[in-house]
Amino acid sequence: MQAEKSTRPRQVWQWADVRRRKLGMWAYTLNRVSGLGLVLYLFIHLAVLRLLAGGPAAWDNFLALVRSPLFLVLDVVLLAGLLIHGLNGIRLTITGLGIGVPAHKTWFLALMAAALILSAAGAIAIFTM
Amino acid sequence: MAIQVPIKVFRYRPGTAPHFERYQVTVPDDATVIDVIEGVWAEHDRNFMFRHACHHASCGTCAVRLNGYERLPCIVPVTEALAGRQELVVEPLRNFPLVGDLVVDVAGFFQKQAASGLVITRAAEATLSGQPFAHSELFSQAGALEERAYNRFENCIECGICISACPTMAATDKFWGPAALAGIRRATLTTGDCQEKAALLALADSEQGVWRCHSAFECTESCPQDVDPGGAIMSLRREIVGRKVKHLFGAG
Amino acid sequence: MAAPHVIVIGAGSTGAATAHDLALRGLRVTVLERGEIANCTTGRNHCLLHSGGRYCVKDQESAIECIDENLILRRIMPDAMELNGGLFVALNEADLAFREKFIEGCEQCHIPYREVPVKRALEMEPFLNPGLLAAVQVPDGVFEPFRFCLAFLATARHNGAVVRTYTEVTELARAGQFITGVKVLDHRTGKTQEIGADLVVNATGPWAGRIAEMGGVEVPVAPTAGVMVTVDQRLCNLVINRMDKPADGDIVVPQRLTSIIGTTSWAILDPDQIEIPKAHIEKMIQKGRELIPAIQRRVTRGVGAAARPLIRKANTDEREVSRTFECFDHQRDGVDGFVTISGGKTTTARAMAEKAADVVCAKLGQRAECATRTTPLLSYRLFYN
Repeated sequence: MQAEKSTRPRQVWQWADVRRRKLGMWAYTLNRVSGLGLVLYLFIHLAVLRLLAGGPAAWDNFLALVRSPLFLVLDVVLLAGLLIHGLNGIRLTITGLGIGVPAHKTWFLALMAAALILSAAGAIAIFTM
Repeated sequence: MAIQVPIKVFRYRPGTAPHFERYQVTVPDDATVIDVIEGVWAEHDRNFMFRHACHHASCGTCAVRLNGYERLPCIVPVTEALAGRQELVVEPLRNFPLVGDLVVDVAGFFQKQAASGLVITRAAEATLSGQPFAHSELFSQAGALEERAYNRFENCIECGICISACPTMAATDKFWGPAALAGIRRATLTTGDCQEKAALLALADSEQGVWRCHSAFECTESCPQDVDPGGAIMSLRREIVGRKVKHLFGAG
Repeated sequence: MAAPHVIVIGAGSTGAATAHDLALRGLRVTVLERGEIANCTTGRNHCLLHSGGRYCVKDQESAIECIDENLILRRIMPDAMELNGGLFVALNEADLAFREKFIEGCEQCHIPYREVPVKRALEMEPFLNPGLLAAVQVPDGVFEPFRFCLAFLATARHNGAVVRTYTEVTELARAGQFITGVKVLDHRTGKTQEIGADLVVNATGPWAGRIAEMGGVEVPVAPTAGVMVTVDQRLCNLVINRMDKPADGDIVVPQRLTSIIGTTSWAILDPDQIEIPKAHIEKMIQKGRELIPAIQRRVTRGVGAAARPLIRKANTDEREVSRTFECFDHQRDGVDGFVTISGGKTTTARAMAEKAADVVCAKLGQRAECATRTTPLLSYRLFYN
């Protein structure tokens, strides 16, 4: 099998183009965007942990910062991202094994509803604790 | 009754910048979009390049993106395509090398299609020896009613619509793609030969096989023939995983 | 010395089969096609692999050609065929009266047939008009026209032929009374080019007259349009024919998930501009329903028409014109190195090619026998390898 001639314009970003696409494509793109977000978070997290090397003072300053409402909102975003990506991952694992494939859209809607509810519950917990 | 159809068409030649051109084409009100595309050629520009053959969704040549969606223009009525719009917008399929205007190079696609080895019927091959057909043999080729399902053309017309709709194909053209994987799935169902089946599954399990699919299911959504390549890919995965699990425990 | 170079104009079934035959006989072949392969007459035909039953009463010459070629094609091209068979059904007393003539015709044309009891016919085809009076089965089949051509061209390419699509012949090059090649416009690049050849074959179906004119000769080819109405349901497994002489809307051909009802016949002037009369579409639905009552207008999937190349004979109605083919060596018109092959049907494309290639080889002094009867064709997909 030869590879196709690569005379076509590269359209890699098309994976993120959900215009005129169906729910499956939204799920696909949402999973990628949330995945990239979580990877970004991981690196930020590692950078933040480096503050521990600066001793208790540096860490306390940082903790004061993250208790501000803006950071609490970001916490909710993080939680939502985790839920979306994790629950979607469960759907992909199940359909990927050939189970419930025709119902993949229902799976997606149900799990995303669960993600929404859990994120809301999380938000309440975060802001009231 | 004849109607005037405004159409915006993708124009391209190698070495020039792609652009759109607008035309007005006159067609009967019950025409399909392929008639409008043909009208651009017939009424306006005999250099206009497009693909078409059967006009009833069997050859798979005419697939384009119509108003942003992958469609077979030969089975979309003009009135339906124009509903709520100022003009038709016609572009070539994505994820194929461009040749000119609406024509894309399908060679790589057909090479992948050939890999599944799927053919329509092998019934006649036994008689390639040159022996004349016995009458009874001719009629038995028509097959008993219940066996006739396999003496048929595949539902897949190899139009390339699923390739254009697939986001993975946008990132790499090495991926086997929905149509070829659906073909492989179909071939695994009909082959009686264990070795052939194992080879087909190995193909599906290869680096560019079913595991590159990321479940957007756009292929299944856009397929004009209800082939359901997305479902086929998931079924192949189940079979591959099932075999591996069995191998792990059963064959030890 | 290099083998003679032959240009074949047209990549419909005739051109594709001719290219295959010539390449197999060791000639260098270039196929030139102005658009996509099979983009017109062949592409939009009825997809019927004729058993000859349709012509066995009125046009036995065609009927015999059809059954001969049917038996050859099912050997050499299994992967572009559905070998599902066909039924001729009688729906009224007039049809029933035709039955004897039909069976006699099948016997005269050595078309295998078997009578199917009405009850069995309805078991085989549950959507058939339940009022049918008799049924006879013949070895009709269905092909996919685009892939039919690809299979021939794949094999031709394997044997060295060059196939150039989107390459339109604009002029024939001439030196004295010899055609020495063609001038083409390559639509991909917009460039014109002259291609030399020892001989040019005009295999352009209903456009044969136009190409012949470029060579300063005439061919008696009458472009005759026919409409096909495709419905979005596969309502039969076998090809269903009306047991009568060929008439409008007397056949339903199942293909993939659809059924194609055909056809009508009317003379046209320009095969590039065919206007489909609405009445013809309605008539197809109405006549189709006589065979299969479940056919409905609302599930129309596609309507197409293309021109057939009929060989004109003086004073005949187009339905009465033989569907057979002819090869014209234009040497007799004072132009050498130029051959036209036209008429015929896709089912007889291989035989047309054989006839044309015989003429070409005789003219070029190429000694080679036709081998296409027994040479299996490559898979159509290998055209793209």
